[in-house]
Amino acid sequence: MIQTIEASPDEIYDIELEHSLLEANAKLAKENRALLDRHGIAAIDVMGAIGSGKTTLIGSLVGRLKDRLGIAVLNGDATTSTDADLIAGQNVPVVQIATVNGCHLDANLVGKALRKIDLAKLKLIFIENIGNLICPAEFPLGSKARVVVVSVTEGQYMVRKHPHMFFGADVVVINKIDLASAMEVSVADLIADVHKLKPGIKVIPTSCKNGAGLDELTSSLLAV
Amino acid sequence: MHELSIASSVVDSVLEFIDTHEVKKVLTVRLAVGELSYVETEQLRFCYSAITQETAMENSTLEIESVAAVVVCPQCDYRGSPKYWEDALSAAPIPTLECPHCHSTVEPVQGHDCAIKTIQFIACADEMPGNRRKQ
Repeated sequence: MIQTIEASPDEIYDIELEHSLLEANAKLAKENRALLDRHGIAAIDVMGAIGSGKTTLIGSLVGRLKDRLGIAVLNGDATTSTDADLIAGQNVPVVQIATVNGCHLDANLVGKALRKIDLAKLKLIFIENIGNLICPAEFPLGSKARVVVVSVTEGQYMVRKHPHMFFGADVVVINKIDLASAMEVSVADLIADVHKLKPGIKVIPTSCKNGAGLDELTSSLLAV
Repeated sequence: MHELSIASSVVDSVLEFIDTHEVKKVLTVRLAVGELSYVETEQLRFCYSAITQETAMENSTLEIESVAAVVVCPQCDYRGSPKYWEDALSAAPIPTLECPHCHSTVEPVQGHDCAIKTIQFIACADEMPGNRRKQ
């Protein structure tokens, strides 16, 4: 049953709050960034849809870089540890961040994960966000760069369907290009779509199957 | 569904306000949602009504005001509305970060936030809160 309260006008107040809802996360992201900066670590937030190839891509990059510099990986996953297990096979520190039902990582969870690893020996941390091309955009984590991974298997229109994801990105990866002709998807058109949303952003076509683009991606990420 | 995170953040903030003020009932919460933020307002309303149940915010109205995007161009000093991608797939044109004048990348300066603007509430009887604006 709904009860109604009759308000006399002199009892009603209107208060201006001007309270940002994204500020609490943004503040924690800044704290994460300060912690990482103090240790001279660059964190790379890797975002993309489910099945875009984030884990395999991170695995390929870790394989190329782990003998040159200290790397750790934070794996966001709603429930399983399969991605974390895959990366841990490379003998680098891995923390799995289980969001349970959460659709994105946030700066608080990443801050907790950072406290689990010995930062002293690290130079680079990959943060694999939850497979989702919408929600992570609103939640910065304190990374130095945000990478968005789109794969040709997601179809020709994935970029224009999710414009907001690209606004905060620093590098965009068009992944699985070895499958482009089988998928009848134009990599050039996907790149053109990204540049239409954000001109001048670095877009790198890659294939973890044949290694295409991985050298360029590695040097781009080391330069951030 | 980050709308649930946003709605929880609204409710936490307002309940925190209620804890420190003499509030009998919240009538309306007004949000300002930026054009460049990715918040689906219908989902947000649904989450809001679900999680305000059995709180002092139950049955309150969530008003959502849209804040237009403003971008500035570091190259040519353009300041104003973003360039829109007219013939993308969606029914409405999509804002982009391309400068409408010189085609370089612009920076958004407005329209990327999501904030609580005002709370309208009934104060407890005999309370005359300071620095509050009577309606």
